[in-house]
Amino acid sequence: MIIRMGALALCLIWFIFTIFPLYWTLITSFKPPQAVAGGATYIPWVDFTPTLKAYIETATGVRGNFIQPTLHSALIAISATVVSVLFGSMAAYALVRFTFRVRLLSGLAFAVVAIGGYVLLTESFGLSPSAALGAVFLIAVPVSVLLNRLQLPGPVLGNEDVLFWFVSQRMFPPIVAAFALFLFYSELGKEGFKAVDTYFGMVLAYTSFSLPIVIWLMRDFFQSLPLEIEEAAMVDDVPRLRIFFEIVLPMSRAGLIAVSIITAGFVWNEFLFALLLTTSDWQTLPIMLAGQNSVRGDEWWAIAVAAMVALVPMIVLAGLLARLMRSGLVIGGIK
Amino acid sequence: MRYEAKKDCGRGAGGKGCMREPIKYVFIWPAFLVVLIIALFPLIYSLVASFQAFRLVPPRPPRYIGFENYGNLITAARFWGAVINTATIVFIAVALQYIIGFAVAVALHAKVPGERLFRVTFLIPMLMSPIAISLIMRMIFNSTIGPVDDLLTFFGLPNLPFLTNPTWAKGVLITVEVWQWTPFVILLILAGLQTLPRDIYEAAEIESATPWQQFWGITFPMLLPISAAVIFIRIIESFKVMDTVFVLTGGGPGTSTETLTLFAYQEGFKKFNIGQTSALSFLFLITVIVFGVVYLALLRPYLERSR
Repeated sequence: MIIRMGALALCLIWFIFTIFPLYWTLITSFKPPQAVAGGATYIPWVDFTPTLKAYIETATGVRGNFIQPTLHSALIAISATVVSVLFGSMAAYALVRFTFRVRLLSGLAFAVVAIGGYVLLTESFGLSPSAALGAVFLIAVPVSVLLNRLQLPGPVLGNEDVLFWFVSQRMFPPIVAAFALFLFYSELGKEGFKAVDTYFGMVLAYTSFSLPIVIWLMRDFFQSLPLEIEEAAMVDDVPRLRIFFEIVLPMSRAGLIAVSIITAGFVWNEFLFALLLTTSDWQTLPIMLAGQNSVRGDEWWAIAVAAMVALVPMIVLAGLLARLMRSGLVIGGIK
Repeated sequence: MRYEAKKDCGRGAGGKGCMREPIKYVFIWPAFLVVLIIALFPLIYSLVASFQAFRLVPPRPPRYIGFENYGNLITAARFWGAVINTATIVFIAVALQYIIGFAVAVALHAKVPGERLFRVTFLIPMLMSPIAISLIMRMIFNSTIGPVDDLLTFFGLPNLPFLTNPTWAKGVLITVEVWQWTPFVILLILAGLQTLPRDIYEAAEIESATPWQQFWGITFPMLLPISAAVIFIRIIESFKVMDTVFVLTGGGPGTSTETLTLFAYQEGFKKFNIGQTSALSFLFLITVIVFGVVYLALLRPYLERSR
């Protein structure tokens, strides 16, 4: 009994700690200026009279255009989620149902050809970095694909290693990739393909950085699917792509929703890539929010409204995710 | 799992062996190409740049200088300051996350009343925008009109300089990390707890082991593998810490809370020193890899034993 009381106390303490910042944001967004400047106030209608002024000011754009970054964030998050969940679940399915053999040597050959070719082309032939990267890519990919066909000596990597290759991208400190991508995008800009501060550039960046987690989670999900239905379809000579889109994906609806929520949340909240890869046109909500800090100073009611715009959609998604998890779908995936 | 997947594959391909089924490339190449082109290929550019003297402002053509960028960094006090700040925040925050997260998970597992509500609430912080949370924490830890200060005054304690004193500022950053990421530990430990076999506990009951003994004798050792994984993921993820620092302290006062990512950002986007920033990002990458390899090597014997 004492143990259960202790457990309950612990949960309550953690509950208060978790919920307080959110409660604070909610009430602060309704506070009039006097209720902020005079010290902390906690209970609406008792400590202060709530007002909608801050919300109206935000909506009418008195405090900077909030609607545009919010729309951008939503558009980018939805697009990147759709593309990465589509490509990611295709790759995850392939990793579950097919066998891949990649020779370590052909992978190494790729790195050598790519890096060596890049240095050679930029130094000796004076090619611009983006032209050199493009040329090197077109050479290195076929070379390593062909090499993989040959009976080369050395270790052969399997599906687990391909999966690890994908997931290891997520272990990189993102500044490494983000800075490299910024340089790459800037070089593309010099060639006339504007990639920095565009919808296309942002969606591509976020797709690539969501893919590893999508592949990882969806692979576990596909592994738990029964094989019989697919086999029955295969006996009837239904093409593999149709089996995937018409049988496997519909069966995986719950998993797809959960993974989409996680991906969309990641993109919606992401800051570093947006900071490096946008300048003005396609700024996302987190960038706008971070700017509030210096622009707004002590106007807490305005900051709180801005924070609410970023938080409320995610609270809704968290509720959805919790419902899915209660049915035991996501836990299996994360394990 | 692995073997099953392979067997499935063989059956699925109708006994032909799925090695030669070309459709598999249609499935994997889109994802493979996107990751290769966007995440990996630009690294070639920055890797080469890390060996060059390369600045955007003032613009000068890049020139190879060998390991000079790396040498400059390793001898710079500011770099080591950022390393120490990052390590301090990461290790204290992850230790707290693990201890608190484990305790809360065990408490939730004991079927407390209101468990459902707790579970949903405990999930929320993970999905919250770190930038928004940092803005909120700035208000909460405001040293004259914030609620934490209000609480301190209530107990008759003085105002504390939460964001202007290096030690307190790190404390606030750690608090935000703990707030946001302890749920991750709770979630995974809870998943682990649900897989533990019931009969061991029944046997322990018969031996009249106290709950304390049961925890240290059964629960904790059996959750060692998942604990190791959770701590690993949290440490790797925490190394990236930047958003909260950017908003809460901007690395200040001075550079006393500057983390590695923030330092790289300042070098790259305030000074436009491309070579130096590239070198820094690769040093960072090497640090993470070395850490990962050492961590896994150290833990391997324990993990294998408890399996």
